[in-house]
Amino acid sequence: MEKNLAHIALFAALIAVLGLVPKIDLASGVPITAQSLGIMLCGTVLGAKRGALAVLLFLTLTLAGLPLLSGGRGGLGLLASPTVGYIIGFPMAAFTAGLITTHLKTGIGYAATIGAALGGILLLNAVGVLGMSVMLDKSLPEAALLAAPFLVGDSIKAVLAGAITQAIAKMRPEALLSRA
Amino acid sequence: MLTLTSPIDTWAHRLPAGPKLASLCGFTMLLFALNAPASLTLAAVFTTALIASGGHSFAGQSALMLRPLLPFVLIVALWHLILRDPSGITIILRMITAVAAANFVTMTTRLSDMISVLQRFARPLARLISPRSLALAIALTIRFVPTMLARAQSLGESWRARSPSRPRWRIFLPLTLAALDDADHVAEALRARGGTD
Amino acid sequence: MSNGITLDKTSVTLAGRVILSDLSLRLTEARIGIIGRNGSGKTTLLRLIAGLIPATSGRITIDGFAPTDRKAILPRLGILFQNPDHQILFPTVGEELAFGLRQMGQSQTQAEAAARDLLAAEGRRHWFDANTHSLSQGQRHYLCLLSVLLMAPRTILLDEPFAGLDLPTQARLARRLSALPQRLITISHDPAAVAQCDRILWLESGRIQADGPAAEILPAFTTAMAQIGERDADTDLAD
Ligand SMILES: Nc1ncnc2c1ncn2[C@@H]1O[C@H](COP(=O)(O)OP(=O)(O)OP(=O)(O)O)[C@@H](O)[C@H]1O
Ligand SMILES: [Mg+2]
Repeated sequence: MEKNLAHIALFAALIAVLGLVPKIDLASGVPITAQSLGIMLCGTVLGAKRGALAVLLFLTLTLAGLPLLSGGRGGLGLLASPTVGYIIGFPMAAFTAGLITTHLKTGIGYAATIGAALGGILLLNAVGVLGMSVMLDKSLPEAALLAAPFLVGDSIKAVLAGAITQAIAKMRPEALLSRA
Repeated sequence: MLTLTSPIDTWAHRLPAGPKLASLCGFTMLLFALNAPASLTLAAVFTTALIASGGHSFAGQSALMLRPLLPFVLIVALWHLILRDPSGITIILRMITAVAAANFVTMTTRLSDMISVLQRFARPLARLISPRSLALAIALTIRFVPTMLARAQSLGESWRARSPSRPRWRIFLPLTLAALDDADHVAEALRARGGTD
Repeated sequence: MSNGITLDKTSVTLAGRVILSDLSLRLTEARIGIIGRNGSGKTTLLRLIAGLIPATSGRITIDGFAPTDRKAILPRLGILFQNPDHQILFPTVGEELAFGLRQMGQSQTQAEAAARDLLAAEGRRHWFDANTHSLSQGQRHYLCLLSVLLMAPRTILLDEPFAGLDLPTQARLARRLSALPQRLITISHDPAAVAQCDRILWLESGRIQADGPAAEILPAFTTAMAQIGERDADTDLAD
């Protein structure tokens, strides 16, 4: 019980910190924030339920008024902004990533990468694009155009999430709750 | 930790959080029901007046908080200019007004008040997560964000002290491992002082 | 029987390695010191007694209660962690202090009042709303001690209580500790820090190397450490 609570709270903090560290030039000059990497890791490391709860905790604090979303954003305005779909999609993404990591019977690295990609890219962008389409009154393909430039960074993050999860499985197998 | 609550004290800071949130809900629903540019303009003017009532610097802060909307405003404006479709004005006006009104509530409500309203909302979920566990989880996260941020910085420094290149993504693994370690320690410290429930 | 800490043929295995083997002890003295080299198992022994890790085999009782009986243990046993960053759970000093009392069944108002009283008595009234993160290492250590003292357990386990403190703070803390009516079990690698104890346990590779009065054990320990230091100064941290 204490263990679950501690993991959920610490990973909520991890999502925040990954969004606050200065933007990182991944590979060649594409500046991205690592926040969605944090969302992916919640699922692939903690598993579906705990991962989604960690994300919900992070969002609770962000909406309540802590500027923890990348770029120092936060507050209730997030729910009225065009990116609201991503906010709603975050816990779903972590849940899906966790579900796949736990149940896909391949090596942990592949399972986590696939989970991170399906949850943290496909599902997250689906919900995010739907949100933009509603809020900006655009068709789905039009809204999808806005999300497209970020897919490169997202793919790198999914691969990183897989690699980090695999490294944890090797170095600290008992800590990998998604496969416990 | 720094919150988004404005340090510039306004009359709205003294209103209770619950009614403020309820009014915001109603106002936002109204905004999305309205379509006529005239009534949306009225809502925008009302919101502007609300923000202006907080004074000069308060209004400046709220304007800064709207910055993330800028790319969307530009894209929508450009789009509708090219198509010569005036409905772009409605979209932009509604978006800015809704976000500004929500920010107004955030800026005039203390974090602890906001959290206690949220906890009241979460009470029906008591079976899933007890109110005490929720409060504890919130406190733990607030406690560990600055600690982990400092850790990220020192990991970066330790990297740069021994390498000519910047650490980039390489600090993510040690940072995640640190979060797992911290979680173990926290679980133990909680247990040492009576555990949860 | 019911007063004191007893270990009966207790062993601890962590990650497949035997860390503590077959310890049988009965601890009733008011001041007990545990010494030993890095990695000898001092912290593990303390965590075991505090009920934070289970014994792999054997039995432990604290004033007659099992360490797993958390409700009964709280007023009987408190622990000061080696690293204060592993102990502090809350963003502000006030919350950190009040938490333990809340856990013991006091109301929020009672707990906060008690925390304020303690800080006032310590001349640190302004700490109540201070951020735990922005305290210095030594101050955080002190806060951890205060939050244990506030719960007033009958026995207090202290893991390297003087590490990282400057000399005046060490002296102040030592005076403070020696005045406490509680039973104290203090870990230290520094013989001087436990010189006043009624009984010393010297731990070596998870076993009791020696057990007896300070005047007898500490000189032997100091001599042994000096010899090891001359012989293989480099392999000290091999494990
Ligand atoms: N969680 C763990 N898993 C595996 N081994 C552990 C664990 N914790 C401690 N150990 C091992 O147990 C041994 C004893 O560790 P312990 O922390 O009790 O030593 P110590 O006497 O307190 O040392 P120090 O003076 O450095 O604090 C060490 O060899 C350590 O590597
Ligand atoms: Mg130790």
